[in-house]
Amino acid sequence: MTFESSPGQPPQAPAPLSPQEFKATAEGILTNVEWVIEGKSHTIKLAIAVMLAEGHLLLEDVPGVGKTQLAKALARSVDCSVRRIQFTPDLLPSDVTGVSIFDPEKRDFVFKPGAIFGNLILGDEINRASPKTQAALLECMEERQVTVDGNTYKLRSPFMVIATQNPVEMEGTYPLPEAQRDRFAARLAIGYPDINAELALLDRREEYNPLDALRPVADAEMIVRMIAAARAVHLAPELKRYVVDLVAATRQNAQVRLGASPRATLQLLRCTQVLAAMDGRDFALPDDVQQLAVPVLAHRLIPTTETTMGGGDTKAIVSDILRHVPVVSHPGRY
Amino acid sequence: MSGQRHATMVAAATLALTLTPLIGIFEGVGWIVPVLFTIAVIATAASLTRAAGRGQGLQTLAMCAGLLIVLTAGFSGGTAILFVIPTPDTFSHFGLLAGEGVAGIVREAPPVPAEGGILFLTLFGIGLVAILHDMFVVGLRTPALAGLTLLTMYLVPVSVAPDATAWFWFILPAVSYLWLLADDNLRRVSAFGHRFTGAGQLVSQRFPSPMARTARWSALGFILVTLLSLTVVPTNTSGFIDRIAEGYQGGGDAGLGDVNPWAQLSGSLNQPEPVDVLRVSTTDPDPRYLRMHVLDELTSDGFAPNDYDDREALVLDDAQGETFTAEIENLRMEAPVLPVYGTPVELAIDGNWERDSATDVIVGNSSDMGDVESYTLTYTDSAPDAEELAAADGMDPDDERWAANTEHPDVPELTGIVDQALGEATTVHEKVIAVKDFLSVANGFRYTLETADAGNDEAILDFLETRQGYCQQYAAAMAWMLREADVAARVIIGMSRGTRDGQEWVLTSRDYHAWVEVYYHGVGWVTYDPTPTSGVPGAVSFPWATEPSPEDDATPDPGESANPSTDPSEAPSTDTADPSPGAEAPTDGPTGQAADNGAGGGPAFNPAWLLLLLLAALPFAPATWRILLRRSRLGPARLSAKTAWDEVLDLALDYGVGLSDSLTPRQAAGVLAQAAPGAREAATALGSAMARHRYSPRGADPTGLADAVHDLRSELDQRAARGRRVQARFWPASLLVKLSAKQAEESARLARRSARAADRVRTAVRRPRRSNSRKDRAVTRRP
Repeated sequence: MTFESSPGQPPQAPAPLSPQEFKATAEGILTNVEWVIEGKSHTIKLAIAVMLAEGHLLLEDVPGVGKTQLAKALARSVDCSVRRIQFTPDLLPSDVTGVSIFDPEKRDFVFKPGAIFGNLILGDEINRASPKTQAALLECMEERQVTVDGNTYKLRSPFMVIATQNPVEMEGTYPLPEAQRDRFAARLAIGYPDINAELALLDRREEYNPLDALRPVADAEMIVRMIAAARAVHLAPELKRYVVDLVAATRQNAQVRLGASPRATLQLLRCTQVLAAMDGRDFALPDDVQQLAVPVLAHRLIPTTETTMGGGDTKAIVSDILRHVPVVSHPGRY
Repeated sequence: MSGQRHATMVAAATLALTLTPLIGIFEGVGWIVPVLFTIAVIATAASLTRAAGRGQGLQTLAMCAGLLIVLTAGFSGGTAILFVIPTPDTFSHFGLLAGEGVAGIVREAPPVPAEGGILFLTLFGIGLVAILHDMFVVGLRTPALAGLTLLTMYLVPVSVAPDATAWFWFILPAVSYLWLLADDNLRRVSAFGHRFTGAGQLVSQRFPSPMARTARWSALGFILVTLLSLTVVPTNTSGFIDRIAEGYQGGGDAGLGDVNPWAQLSGSLNQPEPVDVLRVSTTDPDPRYLRMHVLDELTSDGFAPNDYDDREALVLDDAQGETFTAEIENLRMEAPVLPVYGTPVELAIDGNWERDSATDVIVGNSSDMGDVESYTLTYTDSAPDAEELAAADGMDPDDERWAANTEHPDVPELTGIVDQALGEATTVHEKVIAVKDFLSVANGFRYTLETADAGNDEAILDFLETRQGYCQQYAAAMAWMLREADVAARVIIGMSRGTRDGQEWVLTSRDYHAWVEVYYHGVGWVTYDPTPTSGVPGAVSFPWATEPSPEDDATPDPGESANPSTDPSEAPSTDTADPSPGAEAPTDGPTGQAADNGAGGGPAFNPAWLLLLLLAALPFAPATWRILLRRSRLGPARLSAKTAWDEVLDLALDYGVGLSDSLTPRQAAGVLAQAAPGAREAATALGSAMARHRYSPRGADPTGLADAVHDLRSELDQRAARGRRVQARFWPASLLVKLSAKQAEESARLARRSARAADRVRTAVRRPRRSNSRKDRAVTRRP
């Protein structure tokens, strides 16, 4: 019994994207999403960067600021298969991964793919699901495959999970364990819109929901090409050293109980590449790294109890590290 | 005591300790009081300005003012208002004093009395050094640089009087330098807060650090090693300074007031412009040399000045042979002895003059040539016959003068050289001719006012090895070599005959000369001049300085053997067998001297001026360094985005634009653009060029970056406050940072190394570490 979940091999080596094409397409997606979420272009840019770095995105913010809107807009801008999972306490792992059902006609078990078999998965209120359901996401997110009844099924490419969670209302929720948080490439908060943006939002939404009017500007094949193009962005040795220094600094920081993992280093570099490509460059700059450091690193750090009690948070810690780690390290000194 | 006051005191104390080597070059210790007072005034001025919270510029000004007031109070010569406020007259008086001091330095041998111009120059020089010293140690906190100032203090006596400065004088300057460094480092360490021992115990500020003992022992070890290597390694102290110092050798007690004849000789020859010294009109158609000093005491330092102890009343011998009369007009000679031709028989002169019986030198008894305007001298000047000399014996060893005129230090190397030079020579005259030939131009000897050092213990060996020198070396070498060959010989210092000016002879400072007298039994002292005539403008050839033997058998040569018997005084000028091939008749041709000046390095310049020049140039050194650095970075050959960016970072430092290490090039450019809005484009271009250079695989195009840097610099310069602008030009912060960064790097490396060494030692003696840091690490799992 086999099930081909993915549409086969990635498309045959398409022509490499030029930095300008990359930039144009990325800006297309950006404009599209901005149509729905006003005044948050930086956050949207980072979200797109995470997507093109094949990372998973965790949107954590208070209710009603547009987490789901952003996820949906992003999904609609790309013409690919989109699945949405509303996480609830009674959601079962098999709902996510899929289940084998006995087919009386064939007298055999047949695999019914779960919600995870899509290009873009929107996981709403992920912290409302039970830990075992959350754990079901683990293998999917990192290894991009599902194992049910001993059979392994590959997921589609591109594959990206955009999960949202509410940090305020903690009653009856199961906070994501460390291991799972580390699997998200970045955590973004959207924040309240400023007054002008909110006014514009009101005007826009008087007649219809802009989300309905969105048309895709890229397809799955284009996304695969963009992902490949971003991976080719040049990373200078000094830049790699800088990223390593930053991550090392999180591990040595006295306010942090657990620093960022090597996976964090990798994902930070990949997101950096995308951000550089979105800027039309074929080489990455420390400026790109600095834009990404807080979203990519902050959610992985576990602050010490003293820090938490003192009202410090990990975003501030990462910002502080950014202010102190030299961009070019001096290996000979000290 | 506040930190800066303590540091100021340490700086002043170290400088004072470094003064000890100067004891050797001054008479007495009275000079110490004004010098210490000057240092104290400068230190107080600096400390008070600092206490008032003023910057380095004002501190330096205050110190300069302190120095000026001290100098005015001490040396104004009544030209100052209220004793301490200088007037323009004061400064011209200072100029006079400085000139007098420089003249004194050139003329006099150490130890010199510390008074007048010399004391003024001393206080001025030490004052400048004290200002720099305080600036380095306290103001700029770069005590390592203060080593330079301490070195200057040590260098002066070493270069002026190498003999008067013994090796142990080196200890105090070295110790004071270490004190300076240690004190500064202690301040630096204390600035961090409490100090801990290696075992984690708190120690008080006064308590020595755990490494103090190691440091003390290693400091002691370093000083010992330096001193040992000083005694073992052959030193090379010859140089332009040494040439003047050479004249002072053995000059601990000149016995003649303050003028050492050697010093006067070399000082006069090295004067940049010759001055007329004597004007002579004589009945002698062909006068020889004017004899002044006789040097017959030979020590390992060379021929020492004579004390003329055997003085007696001036009684002159009766005339034997033809007599001449010379009228000598003194233009500017100052000497305790009287220059005379040949054997004086009559003398008409003012003052009280005596005769030294051992040397026949006419010495003033509280009279000096400086007081004599002119005198008349009647003299005979007999010329011995070469044949007569060839037949004569040397001085009888039983003669009472034998010991004084043949004793010499034992130099084995020289004995070999003399044996070789003498060859077959047996009689006194043969020996004399052999030595003279050995020193001839034909044998590779060259006349030059520059002497070279070949690293031998004895100066004579240097001369014989390098084969270059002037009359002093030639005369001393010939006399010494003759003494080595058991021939009584001594050195004479006087004047050559100068140049003819109508009926008169003019003797200039360039005509000071040294030659040799050799004693022949029955004939007396006979003059020889080993110096190549090319170097002596008024050189006279002596007819008897030849081998007579061939002429005995052969037909008489038209030259010497016929003439001397008939008219000894006429012959020598033209026909001689001078060994030097290039010998012209230099009777009235200063051209020879001029040519020689060109070849021989020209007039020597005074080391004191050089020192002053260096001191004056010192404040401009950082600015020059900075400009050269900028040129080299922005020069087309080296220009890249990296060099341009380095320059930008240094400019930011110079003009006080804070750029943190954690800024990316673009962000740094943004900060610079805020500081220099007019150069926003330049800054942005530089920043993105650097970003490309560092992060792009294709690098950056450096075109136009040099202009961008210049734009940025002029904009920063325009926007900076005036103090900042001056500081950026003359004392750029970027240089200081570089220096201190290097220093920090070095000390960190040293600390690591010593820590490793200590670990190794501990492992070797198998003593467990008391530190529990490893356990800690295991618990926390964090480094």
